Amino acid sequence: MASMSPSERRLQKELMSLMKEPPPGVTVDGDQASQNLTLWTVHMEGVPGTLYEGEKFVLQFKFTNKYPFDSPEVTFVGNNIPVHPHVYSNGHICLSILTDDWSPALSVQSVCLSIVSMLSSCKEKKRPSDNSFYVKTCNKNPKKTKWWYHDDSV
Amino acid sequence: MAETSEAQASASASAPGGDAGGEDDKRDERMLECNICLDTARDAVVSMCGHLFCWPCLHQWLETRPSRKVCPVCKAAISRDKVIPLYGRGNTKQEDPRNKQVPPRPAGQRTEPENNSGFPGFGFGEGFHMSFGIGAFPFGVFTSTFNFGDSRPSAAPHGTAQYEEEQFLSKIFLWVAILFVLWLIFA
Repeated sequence: MASMSPSERRLQKELMSLMKEPPPGVTVDGDQASQNLTLWTVHMEGVPGTLYEGEKFVLQFKFTNKYPFDSPEVTFVGNNIPVHPHVYSNGHICLSILTDDWSPALSVQSVCLSIVSMLSSCKEKKRPSDNSFYVKTCNKNPKKTKWWYHDDSV
Repeated sequence: MAETSEAQASASASAPGGDAGGEDDKRDERMLECNICLDTARDAVVSMCGHLFCWPCLHQWLETRPSRKVCPVCKAAISRDKVIPLYGRGNTKQEDPRNKQVPPRPAGQRTEPENNSGFPGFGFGEGFHMSFGIGAFPFGVFTSTFNFGDSRPSAAPHGTAQYEEEQFLSKIFLWVAILFVLWLIFA
């Protein structure tokens, strides 16, 4: 424990509290995360009563050694990418707290809650209007995308 | 500030208990955690909006986004000069290697309590100094005449060579002044 870097220490603390008290519908793959603290897999269930009820999604978190000063790279992975106006079919998420509005007081848990709430408030399942163009041209890392945050309603 | 004062209150409440253990102590500890590293805050500072940080953590965040300095918790404006260090009773020389890379946390500002006993301006006994002068030379005579409570070195004792010299000098200056005034009047 003593040789841990500050970012590892914080990730270890977050992992412990997320495994102990996960938000509803969210589970973290603890074994995988504790083997490699910089790559987490989080399972998420669609909230009952919303458009995503009964669906299961997988989120991937990648952390750099500058975490929490640097935001995590968060994408949907696996074969079920939620159909949502802010989620591209390659799993990239247009969410301001993942880039410009990131703050070191945020955490994996608060990012998960934001994504759950983003999905839950959706009124119509559809892909972003520029989905096919973006998916063809984007960088593999969504943090390299210069996002435009213009829609605060969803 | 509610969060902080609560945290301080719980800190002082849990201190005498020592290592009693239990849920309460754990919660008390969490209230003193830095909002960035989630450890117990070291070299703690608190923002005007009441959020607790280690100074090294907060400093690193301010360096990360120099153009947009906001509180990580509530996004209120925050800066080096707008945080208050918290000095507990424990050892303030906790070792933290990160300290060496950051400037020392800002010092606390200490304001003297206001003195409300009477009018503070005209205490003549406390070395009050008053000079009247209009800047032209002859009036300088009056200037030096109307100095109250001026703390200049006292005159040399009688009989010494220095006393004689001072008397001589003051006489010369007196005569020069009188001549000058006469010249002003008659010229």
